[in-house]
Amino acid sequence: MAAPPARARADYDYLIKLLLIGDSGVGKSCLLLRFSDGSFTTSFITTIGIDFKIRTIELDGKRIKLQIWDTAGQERFRTITTAYYRGAMGILLVYDVTDESSFNNIRNWIRNIEQHASDNVNKILVGNKADMDESKRAVPTSKGQALADEYGIKFFETSAKTNLNVEEVFFSIARDIKQRVSETDSRAEPQTIKINQPDPTANGGQGAQKSACCGS
Amino acid sequence: MSEPPSYPQIEPTTFDLIAAGTGLGECIVAAAASASGKTVLHLDTNPFYGSHYSSLSVPELTSFLISNSTPSSPPSSTSTTTDSLDYSIVNLTTQPVYSDVEISCFYPELLEENLRKFNLDLCGPRVLFCADKLIDLMLKSGASHYVEFKSIDASFVGDGNGKLWTVPDSRAAIFKDKSLTLMEKNQLMRFFKLVQGHLVATVAAGSSGDDGNGNDEKEGKAKISDEDLERPFVEYLSNMRLPPKIRSIILYAIAMADNDQDDMGVCQNLLKTKDGIDRLSLYQSSVGRFTNASGALIYPVYGQGELPQAFSRRSAVKGCIYVLRMPVTALLMEKDSGRYKGVRLASGQDIFSQKLVLDPSLTLASPSASPSDLLHESFNFLSTRDVKGKVARGICITRNSLKPDMSNLLVVYPPRTLYPEQVTSIRALQISGNLAVCPLGMFVLYLSALCDDAIQGKRLLNAAMNVLLTFPDSVNSESSSTVQSENTEEKPTVIWSGLYIQEMSTVDIGMASILFQGQFDSINFAPMPDGNLNYNDISDAAVKLFQEMYPNEEYFPETTPPENSEDDIGLSLET
Repeated sequence: MAAPPARARADYDYLIKLLLIGDSGVGKSCLLLRFSDGSFTTSFITTIGIDFKIRTIELDGKRIKLQIWDTAGQERFRTITTAYYRGAMGILLVYDVTDESSFNNIRNWIRNIEQHASDNVNKILVGNKADMDESKRAVPTSKGQALADEYGIKFFETSAKTNLNVEEVFFSIARDIKQRVSETDSRAEPQTIKINQPDPTANGGQGAQKSACCGS
Repeated sequence: MSEPPSYPQIEPTTFDLIAAGTGLGECIVAAAASASGKTVLHLDTNPFYGSHYSSLSVPELTSFLISNSTPSSPPSSTSTTTDSLDYSIVNLTTQPVYSDVEISCFYPELLEENLRKFNLDLCGPRVLFCADKLIDLMLKSGASHYVEFKSIDASFVGDGNGKLWTVPDSRAAIFKDKSLTLMEKNQLMRFFKLVQGHLVATVAAGSSGDDGNGNDEKEGKAKISDEDLERPFVEYLSNMRLPPKIRSIILYAIAMADNDQDDMGVCQNLLKTKDGIDRLSLYQSSVGRFTNASGALIYPVYGQGELPQAFSRRSAVKGCIYVLRMPVTALLMEKDSGRYKGVRLASGQDIFSQKLVLDPSLTLASPSASPSDLLHESFNFLSTRDVKGKVARGICITRNSLKPDMSNLLVVYPPRTLYPEQVTSIRALQISGNLAVCPLGMFVLYLSALCDDAIQGKRLLNAAMNVLLTFPDSVNSESSSTVQSENTEEKPTVIWSGLYIQEMSTVDIGMASILFQGQFDSINFAPMPDGNLNYNDISDAAVKLFQEMYPNEEYFPETTPPENSEDDIGLSLET
């Protein structure tokens, strides 16, 4: 009896919305594509065409669907829409270990998050391009760790190119969010309306419901 | 972020389209152009998206209204700017769009800690009908992924005594309604059936090619005669023997007419039966379109400002470059032909494009030293605006709902319900904290009415506010606590209010370009927010704008690459 309506959303237990944030060129899209598609390319310069990606992972026997949003290039002139932050449950703050200004800007991005994202959003600090030659490194690991400690968040150095720590970052933040959500998920907010390709199925569904009611 | 304007250099320096201003119209055009492969640079003077369509915090809203209610002095640097070798420089200025801005804060202590937790709509009250064209446009463009909505719980018609009467807008609602007599219910039911029959017959006639008259009459699927369709809707309703009360509900709370339909003197504003039926049809097809929408009307979570942002994200995904805090100070016109070539930014950088879309509040400043008489003449023309009238808007923050058991609701005061000289409808929309426009436990009431001038406009708003709300000012706080006799329900007390008059005028660039041999062909102005409850006219204007600019391009080609279609993107987030 309860099976049919549940079936539609039975392919996961949790849906988690994650955001990537950080300066242009730190490798946000590369991290995303590495994690979602297992691919790496150095060919694109700025983000065009990546809206969000989805990958379902398993944690403690639960299927967790990660919906990971990219900035669509709107970070370039600090013009990320406030709408981007809506409903985000976790944010990956990414800088480039070979670019000090991208690291210094993390504080600005955190200020932005405090202004626009919900208060309890999980954050994680990511120093990308850790595969680069030490001679090119501008931000020592200890500095990254110190900043993360200051904000009380976790820290990873990653390489989208060599696939260093990429899985670990996403799994780590997903685990923390799952923990938080399962502890606090008691409120019953009225459902919002998403306007996704509705008409035929919506009406059909209603019709079916009605006839079921009449039959009983 | 509040860094001083250290303007970034923009690369590249040539685009197919530059859009200045991120109002809804500009964002739709930018998204459409990006979707059809054009290179687009989208700029805004403000540090936020949406321009006159944005949702702002209390301090942002106040400062935006005030700074847009005085004419901007042309940028000081430009007076010293010498024309470059190839181009004439034509300065842009901002026209004051708002006037008579009146901000009152009655309980600063209640607002202080929450000032930034508000998303107040500049162009309110506004909602979307579930069957609106803008909804279809969002679906077609993919902007629908970025916005979620909630339903408006109910609509009411208000009277002068502060009573709110439920609008029976569907068959189910007619059945449940307690204020209608059985006879009235039958009349209304019969009328809805007739409209339904007409619509079915029209669709059938459209698909089969016959005129639909006659054949189906027995089944009640007769079309309304063409003669009737051209008549005033109010006359048609009278002929249907609908009593004044029902007529008023249909005209003002379902068809959302603004002007007094019984005043035959102002015939240019009379709704034709054809248009009335269209609006009823929009209402009827909205009910039940989305399974979890309870009525015809929906409102975006976080406010109307989400809509331009959704379209701008769509553009960005398609490669459009966004730069905020970047005023366009001047246009670059080719010396010989006077043709548009590009823009000069506040950073001093010159950027070139084929086409330009401008925020409706921007206008060309008449050059002091005119490059040519022809050009000069056309500037004079451009500065005379096509006056479309004004809309009075009000925003009130309260701590109680108008209806204790409801959060989000619409109230309409048809003309002459509050006082004899009330010439236009006043609409009031209450939105609660559950739509994230204000802290939970608070409410925002948006009001609007079309008006000819500020005095009339303010009077309209105040009349509705006085009936619906309590103002700390007007009440002697000590004696008032005992004098609540006539209203059993206590009226919400206003914490903060903002009233303003908005111009609806736009530059008549079409006329100018006919007169001046297409010099301004490449320059277009986006629409100002109108006085309507929904966005249909604005989205129509944006479609028209795009089609005029790119007659050979499809408007959001169906083949939007489904970049995420490997997975179902249509699920609601269970946060």
